[in-house]
Amino acid sequence: MDYTMEDTQNSALDALEASKLNTSGQRNETQSVTKRLQAELMQLMIQPSPGISAFPDADGNLLSWTATITGPTETPYEGLNLKLTFAFPNNYPYSAPTVLFKTPIYHPNVDFSGRICLDILKDKWSAVYNVQSVLLSLQSLLGEPNNASPLNAQAAELWDSDQEEFKRHVLARHRDLDDD
Amino acid sequence: MLSTAPLNVGRRRVFGSVFSPASLEARPPFASSFNHDQTPFASFQSNGSSSTVETGSQATALSPGQQEPPADGEGWDRAWSAATAFLSVPNRGFAPIYESRETDGSEILKDWNRLSPPSKETGEALAYLTAAAQNTRPSPGATEPTDLFSWYGDEIRRHFLMNLRGGLYELLRTSENGSLLRTIVDCLQLARRIYLAPIVHWLLPLLPTADQGRVLTQLQRGFHTVVSYSLPWSEISKILAEELAQESLVILGIDTLFEESNSDESSQDGMDVDRQYSVSYEEWKQETTEAQAHMMTEGEQENVTMARDRLLAFLNGLQLVGLGGDKAQKVFAGVMNIMMTEFVRAAYTGKWETPTTATQHLRHWIENVFARLAVQVLAIIHTPSLGNQASGALDVSFGDVEKWQEMGIARLGALRTSELFDVIVEWPASSGAVEDLRHFTTHPAARAYVTQSFIAILNQRLLHPGASTVEILQLYISIIRAFHLLDPKGVLLDRIARPIRRYLRDRDDTVKVIVSGLLAEPHAADKQALPSSGDTLVELSTELAKAHQLSLQSNTSELDWDDMNWVPDPVDAAPDYRKSKSSDVIDSLISLFESKETFVKELQALLGDRLLQKREDFDQEMSVLELLKVRFGDSALQACEVMLKDISDSRRVDSSVRKDQGLSKPPARMHSKRPAQVQIPQLHAKILSRFFWPEIQDQEFKVPDEIAYLQHRYSTGFESLKSSRKLTWRNGLGQVTVELELGDRSFIDEVSTWQATVIYAFQSDQDDATKTISDLASELNMAAVLVRSACLFWVSKRILTEVHRDTFRVLEYLPTEDEQQGGAEAGSGVEGPGSPSADTANAAAAAEAAAAEAAKETAEAAAMEKMNLYWQFIVGMLTNQGAMPLQRIVMMLKIVVPGGFPFSNEELREFLAGMVSKRKLEIVSGGNYKLVH
Repeated sequence: MDYTMEDTQNSALDALEASKLNTSGQRNETQSVTKRLQAELMQLMIQPSPGISAFPDADGNLLSWTATITGPTETPYEGLNLKLTFAFPNNYPYSAPTVLFKTPIYHPNVDFSGRICLDILKDKWSAVYNVQSVLLSLQSLLGEPNNASPLNAQAAELWDSDQEEFKRHVLARHRDLDDD
Repeated sequence: MLSTAPLNVGRRRVFGSVFSPASLEARPPFASSFNHDQTPFASFQSNGSSSTVETGSQATALSPGQQEPPADGEGWDRAWSAATAFLSVPNRGFAPIYESRETDGSEILKDWNRLSPPSKETGEALAYLTAAAQNTRPSPGATEPTDLFSWYGDEIRRHFLMNLRGGLYELLRTSENGSLLRTIVDCLQLARRIYLAPIVHWLLPLLPTADQGRVLTQLQRGFHTVVSYSLPWSEISKILAEELAQESLVILGIDTLFEESNSDESSQDGMDVDRQYSVSYEEWKQETTEAQAHMMTEGEQENVTMARDRLLAFLNGLQLVGLGGDKAQKVFAGVMNIMMTEFVRAAYTGKWETPTTATQHLRHWIENVFARLAVQVLAIIHTPSLGNQASGALDVSFGDVEKWQEMGIARLGALRTSELFDVIVEWPASSGAVEDLRHFTTHPAARAYVTQSFIAILNQRLLHPGASTVEILQLYISIIRAFHLLDPKGVLLDRIARPIRRYLRDRDDTVKVIVSGLLAEPHAADKQALPSSGDTLVELSTELAKAHQLSLQSNTSELDWDDMNWVPDPVDAAPDYRKSKSSDVIDSLISLFESKETFVKELQALLGDRLLQKREDFDQEMSVLELLKVRFGDSALQACEVMLKDISDSRRVDSSVRKDQGLSKPPARMHSKRPAQVQIPQLHAKILSRFFWPEIQDQEFKVPDEIAYLQHRYSTGFESLKSSRKLTWRNGLGQVTVELELGDRSFIDEVSTWQATVIYAFQSDQDDATKTISDLASELNMAAVLVRSACLFWVSKRILTEVHRDTFRVLEYLPTEDEQQGGAEAGSGVEGPGSPSADTANAAAAAEAAAAEAAKETAEAAAMEKMNLYWQFIVGMLTNQGAMPLQRIVMMLKIVVPGGFPFSNEELREFLAGMVSKRKLEIVSGGNYKLVH
């Protein structure tokens, strides 16, 4: 455990070094992504939105983040901490990040491996979106699933028919990832 | 049957392993009859001489039959015994040889019966036996060495081992003096003469000329073998090396160099002696080219010539007695190797002037001095197998000399590399050394060597916390320049600079130093002798102006098709090596940081400070900004430009506002019959566009009513002038000229606004009013620390006095010394200072400390402000990534916080501890911090 941690630290430093030296074209591209992500992070830090949070992973290249959404009140997810991963492509923000739920979640638009069906993460992606807007969309998706195109049909059905049962499913599936 | 009694068994075994036992023991039978091994000297003498005569007569009888094969064993035996008796070497031990080693040896030769011609009979016996040997017929005795020469070879060996070996061994073991080897060689030479004299004189003429050489060589080789067997080479080589080193130091002129450097200045008078011959680099450099050519070849000094003769003679002897050959060559090579290093070190250490001719000098020296000695020496101690060496053939080819020259250059390069750090410290006075180095860095291995060893030195001497950032930057600038000269393509610099740049990035104050250097007054640099002496890099501002001019001249781009000087990148360039205008110091420094933003931000802060000063003009700042715009582009420096524009605009606005509001009365000097009619002070303002200015730390307080009134009027005036704008007063910034009239003195000085405000509060009251800090703080709405700082400032100016702790009173009349004492006692809260001057000094120090404290407090407040932002980062980090140890938090912060995380691990630990006590964090297992939900 300790060793791996040390490894990631080292590589993080290297990456830092590399990004500082900034010497090749390949890096230049990464550089602009990094810059954008850094700006987004800054924005998240300066103006935090309640219930959402995101931070880069410790690997140091800023291209993978972990985000946390706290389940909105008056939804079946109330009070639950839901973790997601963001993987940013090299040409971000011109392509959408890959967003997955890490926390097991029972939701009409999320399948059992955490994949999300959300238009702005697919064909409706635009460069004006950012981490914050994606997280806010997901937060609202928790309260208002799009049952027209479900990934989890049972959940979609249950959502419409039996909210109590739905919530039971949600809680049964939920598992806190906090202290792994 | 030969008695080898004196040799003990052990020795015999050793001999036996080297020499075939037969050759030692299978002596001709006749020899035993002489029995010389055991005969004491005296008796042998008589015995030997008598028998010589006797056998000689017998040989005569035989002589007629000498042509015939020695079928008649009798005759042959007689001849043999006569000849061997004549030739045998008397056993007189080592002592006589040792004692007469200094003489020419004729005496001992005579004494030992080596020169006296053989009697007629003996001569005939010799002739007979020689002829017999010529016929090379096996003798009747078959296995026995019937050849007289072989016998004599054995005789030499026997005698040497019995008489000389022990003595030489003893000599080698006991004596320590320097000329030991000479003594040994002398002894051996004498011995050699003793052995060979009769052969050369009497025996060889009997042989046909063709055989003479062969026989002699054979005997000599036998002698050499036994000599080199008897003397342990490991010890011989040691003293031989010493001997060679001693002489060659003189011959190669290295000793003079040492002397020169030791008595550098003191013996300046002696220098006018016309020394044509000198290997000194200093002197060589001063000569004309023509004189240089002759300098080392002609006019050799006497002691050098003597040393040379001595050495050559010595080596001759060495070669003669068989200690020469390839073994000696090896020793010689080792010595010469050391000599070259010594010479390079002695001749060039610390000689860094430009233009440099060190390489030419070194080549010249190697060709004319070093190689000359090598040729001379090698001609003597050649390998014996090349016995037929023609005198014309040199052992040293021209290629060898060139190789040596290359070696010399490499040594010089190594020397310069080791000196490189000091060279760069001395830059630019030391550019010659770098030019020398250029000759060395011609192949990748050498270049790698230079960079590696230099980086090692850098890490050791420069990149440590003890060196100030200014020093490091200063040196970095020198390195850039030096390496640009060394390697114009900048590949070496690229490699060297990496660790420096990495290190500089980790320094907090790097940007600050660079920016303040850029903004420094170049004129100040001219006045100062040492630009780097202060804590600013004044050099940078000069460089900035200069570099700009250069960049106007040459517009070098990669795709300059007409560039006739284009060369490809060197092979050892790093993969991500980027061609840069590496000599451009400013560019290198600015590019230290990934983004220009940190740089621009720092520039803004510094510019802000400077622009708020009360000065006539800001030309310097303007020109620097213009120059920087060339590098950064207009947009990056927009804010700075606005700042400058603010200042110049506000001058105009200021005058018009003041005119409109009637504020600019004829200079109203405060001839205050105080407090009755205080005239209206003058108020000037600088109007800043807040958005473009950096965060300005400001202390809030209430300004005196008069000032507030003026401010109000000024604001009105400004708002009427620029209708959509509004003025916010920054009371903490600015300067006030204060005039104080006290009971016995008046005081004028320029102070800061808050200091003025505090003293103003004292004025408005009656005489000898006392005020406490808390009073003032609430009255002025000012931070207590700041009030205290201001009060202490005035105490230091001897305007106020602290009667009790935190209670101050105007010092209307300066106390006499007695009063001072009394006052000190009365004010029991204050310690009684010894004298007024000490009092003032103390007060000044206290004021400074208080001011520093106040500044620190505001800075801390600002830092806490920033910490809140970092706290958001930490919350985000811990929310998403789970619990983390301190190390990792720091590391992540360093990565993700734009502009870097300015706090140390300890500071963060303290901050986090505070958060833990506020129950926002908890520490879980493994020292990990975790958010409390």
